[in-house]
Amino acid sequence: MAGSTTKTVYDIFQSMEQGPAPASSTATAQAWLDHHSRALGLFIDGKFVCPADRQRRSLVDCKGGNVCTTVCAVEDDISQCASSAVNGFKAWSSQTCYQRAQVLLKLVSILGLHNKCVSELCELCEASCSPSTLVRLLQYYSSWAQLRDTLITNWKPLGVVAVVVSDDCSLYSLFLKVLPALAMGNSVIVVPGQYTAPPVLLLAQLFTGAGLPAGALNVLTGGDVSLGANVAQNPSISYVTYSGNKQVCDAVMLCKATAGMGIPISVSPCIGATCPFIIFDSADIDSAVDGAIEAAFRKKKEAHWVLCVQENVLDSVVSRLRLRMERMKCVGLRSDEDRVLVDAAVHEAQQQGATLIQSCSAPPSGAQYPPTVVCGTAPASPCVVSPAPGPLLPVLTFRSYTEAVTLGNHSPHGQAASIWTEDLTLAQETAKNLSVGSVWVNSHSVWDPCLPVAGHKDSGTCTDGGQEGMYQFLRPSSSLSPPLPRSSPLPMDYTKFGTGASPVIIPDDSVSAPKSYLQFVGGKTCKSVSGCSIPVQPPEGDGVLAYCPDGGRKDIRNAVEAAIKVQPGWMKKSPSARAQSLYSVAKGLEAKRRDVAASVHIQTGLSVVEAEKEVELSITRLSDWAAYCDKIQGGSLPMPQSGCALSVPEALGVIGVVLPDNNPLLSMVTLLGAAVATGNAVVMVPSQKYPLPALSFIQVLQASDLPAGLVNVISGSRDQLTVALANHSVIKAIWYWGSAEGCQYLQYTCTSPLKTLCLFCQKDKEGKDWTQSHPSLLENLWRNAVQWKSVWIPTA
Amino acid sequence: KCSHCRLFVFLSMWALDLEWISNIRVNTQAVLKRAQHIQGQKICRNQWQAAWLLKGVTCIDLTTLAGDDTPSNVHRLCLKAIQPVRYDLLKKMDMHNKGVTTAAVCVYPSRVADAVMLLKNSNLPVASVATGFPAGQTPLETRLQEVRRAVADGATEIDIVINRTLALTGQWKAMFDEIRQFREACGDAHMKTILAVGELGTFTNVYKASMVAMMAGSDFIKTSTGKEAVNATYPVAIVMARAIRNYFLRTGHKVGFKPAGGIRTAQECLVWLALIKEELGNDWLSPHLFRLGASSLLADIERQIYHYVTGQYAAYNELPIA
Repeated sequence: MAGSTTKTVYDIFQSMEQGPAPASSTATAQAWLDHHSRALGLFIDGKFVCPADRQRRSLVDCKGGNVCTTVCAVEDDISQCASSAVNGFKAWSSQTCYQRAQVLLKLVSILGLHNKCVSELCELCEASCSPSTLVRLLQYYSSWAQLRDTLITNWKPLGVVAVVVSDDCSLYSLFLKVLPALAMGNSVIVVPGQYTAPPVLLLAQLFTGAGLPAGALNVLTGGDVSLGANVAQNPSISYVTYSGNKQVCDAVMLCKATAGMGIPISVSPCIGATCPFIIFDSADIDSAVDGAIEAAFRKKKEAHWVLCVQENVLDSVVSRLRLRMERMKCVGLRSDEDRVLVDAAVHEAQQQGATLIQSCSAPPSGAQYPPTVVCGTAPASPCVVSPAPGPLLPVLTFRSYTEAVTLGNHSPHGQAASIWTEDLTLAQETAKNLSVGSVWVNSHSVWDPCLPVAGHKDSGTCTDGGQEGMYQFLRPSSSLSPPLPRSSPLPMDYTKFGTGASPVIIPDDSVSAPKSYLQFVGGKTCKSVSGCSIPVQPPEGDGVLAYCPDGGRKDIRNAVEAAIKVQPGWMKKSPSARAQSLYSVAKGLEAKRRDVAASVHIQTGLSVVEAEKEVELSITRLSDWAAYCDKIQGGSLPMPQSGCALSVPEALGVIGVVLPDNNPLLSMVTLLGAAVATGNAVVMVPSQKYPLPALSFIQVLQASDLPAGLVNVISGSRDQLTVALANHSVIKAIWYWGSAEGCQYLQYTCTSPLKTLCLFCQKDKEGKDWTQSHPSLLENLWRNAVQWKSVWIPTA
Repeated sequence: KCSHCRLFVFLSMWALDLEWISNIRVNTQAVLKRAQHIQGQKICRNQWQAAWLLKGVTCIDLTTLAGDDTPSNVHRLCLKAIQPVRYDLLKKMDMHNKGVTTAAVCVYPSRVADAVMLLKNSNLPVASVATGFPAGQTPLETRLQEVRRAVADGATEIDIVINRTLALTGQWKAMFDEIRQFREACGDAHMKTILAVGELGTFTNVYKASMVAMMAGSDFIKTSTGKEAVNATYPVAIVMARAIRNYFLRTGHKVGFKPAGGIRTAQECLVWLALIKEELGNDWLSPHLFRLGASSLLADIERQIYHYVTGQYAAYNELPIA
């Protein structure tokens, strides 16, 4: 009865120690693995496929025991998988919304039956995800599947979506991409990480049992994220989305490897971001300290928390931390290498005068470390800037609310923040001013599919979860072709791109010198910094129609500087004030319609009537955007717990726009309106071929009451200016119409910090029809101009 | 063990710090979440469970507070308190000579004399509720008189109830003064202050009342009388335990904690012990600083211990009744 241990009842009675955790059984999962001979195959076309002669990767549990092996897929497997996914997409997307919803719901009941197998397998693979979480995800997305055509009208699925994750990505984050993709009618190829592979394979099998058509969900396992890049190469794939860490070997590699393939890619680096944990003096300090301990010292933590404490409560926070940590045990690290990193980080912090609070002293070696609070660090110290992978919690102090926000924002990451205060106004103001995607008030690490998760700054280029998270898997049904044609990467020297010399201008013997245009920076018209100009050719080709400034890197720099100065103020303006400013631009265009129409006429060769029609459409488009200003809004979200959950659209900041050749005036005001209506500032590069309408529009901008610097126009060599935009870290997004090389260059370059890219490879005489004003086209534009923030204020 | 508090009383060290009280903030949902977390922890098994349950037994204030209490059922209660778990069961675990008794017997003032007489030959203290239990809605003079009388009859632990009217209207100074008078009336007897948390409205009030009670010299703070609609819950216990911790951090003085009311099963007893261990540490896992006010809990614990020792589930008639 007493078991094999020698501890007597009296011993325990005196020490009151906690017994060993009862070992949980994994028999069901083991039986499933045994059924597959512990060698899992790929899941293609609704069944397990075990190709011979493949390399295998073995999964080892924390005690060193072999769990199973997975196949490393090769090129043949990828093409087989892709053709299956294409068929899967046909079958799945032709089903009705109701049928798709039913499949997701059926999986819920199947999960109920195989609850044990799933949870045991997750535990065995250390990819913890409770079945109730999966059920919540499925139920949430089944309702979206059901109502797709009702609530998201005029959008259609993309086709085959590849979901790629890193080894340390959680099962939850993976399904936060897979399920909405399926719910919207796409077929999905999952490239799971090492630990998530077995559970994903099991769930794919269960999905087939729930009636998912063969090929709608395929799973390819491999050695690392490079498999994701190989999958992306397949021409059947329409979209690649990545979740996981943002290390050079994973996210950045994937972005660089897929550059030039003509495939849009988005990344959610949900792992490893530095997140502030802010405790104000008006907080329930005890709860806040408990929260901090829970967040910072868990074994598999996704964020590196930095504790920011208001100076006047530092003592009470620290004394509570000390007391609460007294009895905590060492936390396991992933490897001995991690231990070396942790030791080095702690040592360095101590050298800089930091003091430690530890529950026990660190064992001399081994892959474990006691929970450690590092007091007296500075924002610049390495354990804050480049945190080590262990149970370390650096503590910073701040004096006032403003300083707290500054501290919280002073990081390249923008994943999440936790703020603790009982003061509602303070909480709301802090939440508003922190540039992070998720704000948890008096709580931390709350995940639910209805909360949109969008990393700001370097923490992501897409939104997952919520209605907002659906649009990455959809495109407006009125758009004819995907923006980028599939291609193979061009051989190009990235260092040489955009360095070609501009044509020189020499005096000739023409009778009347053509007109010279100016560019627009910081609300003033000016020449380029270099003072040079380039000739603009008339539509029929030869000759010189006019001269425009040959802008370069320094012009972009000046424009961005002017833009970032006014953008925060513009974003804070009331939507109706923004609307009035945009109406004033429309009015201004109306006043100058003759001038502008003339520039369209001489530049593009359109007849005067057609040119006037384009001006007319542009006035309407600007008024459309003015009207949209107070219609673009977030809302409250239906969380399963009680409290107040908000999603708020926020401006990205400064957007760089390289304008298309088609409809040079209309396309410019359409993009300008989308960016400015949502609170952004723009730096626009007019089409190199047809710059004059944009340059003559400057007089309208000058006369409008838009703040000086909000809209900047810089003309010149497209490639050279593209390089300048790509290499300015303040610019958060680039919308690009241009060459295939330009697209490839941007995809390759804009990885650190991440920029949101909207790329369009334009060829002669085709491309987007800007005269269309279909609502989903405009919606697509403004959705690209905002980033979402979710704020969660739980109540009892 | 009460010498330090007498010393404090003597030196009038107990002081009310109203600024401290006014800065107190409690976030209800965070507390509820914490309670859920503690409840969700795995329960220990085998000899660990047996040992923890026996620890629970030694922390019980075995209580009868009913209108129909007579010397005979108080007699039975006292005997049960002295031998709370069947001797043969204890012997099998080698715990028969380790002094496993309940912490005290708790009765109404009129029954104190009976209990004292019956427990004369054991070390078990007799606790008495007082001060107009359970409502506290009697004049201060009679409430003080009740305390003095119970002490005179031989009770060495007095469970007083606070004046909820004062707490709910934020008259912390008046409440402090009242408790101070009870403290003086208790003399050498231990004073446990019942906050009646079910009637305080908010966790913030519970925290503040706990603080005032401790500042006024309580040896224990106790959740409830067992007569309110809401009794000892885990979230409220977390709030009170945090108040105790906070008080300890500021003064270095350890105040005890006593949940009471509605604690009936061995399972709950284990959660309570885990909660105390987690929030306050091992120091508080002794009758000196932790009590469980309960009447029917003991029977369930005894059944669990019976199961641990024999592998069988006992019928209630196999175990002695209280």
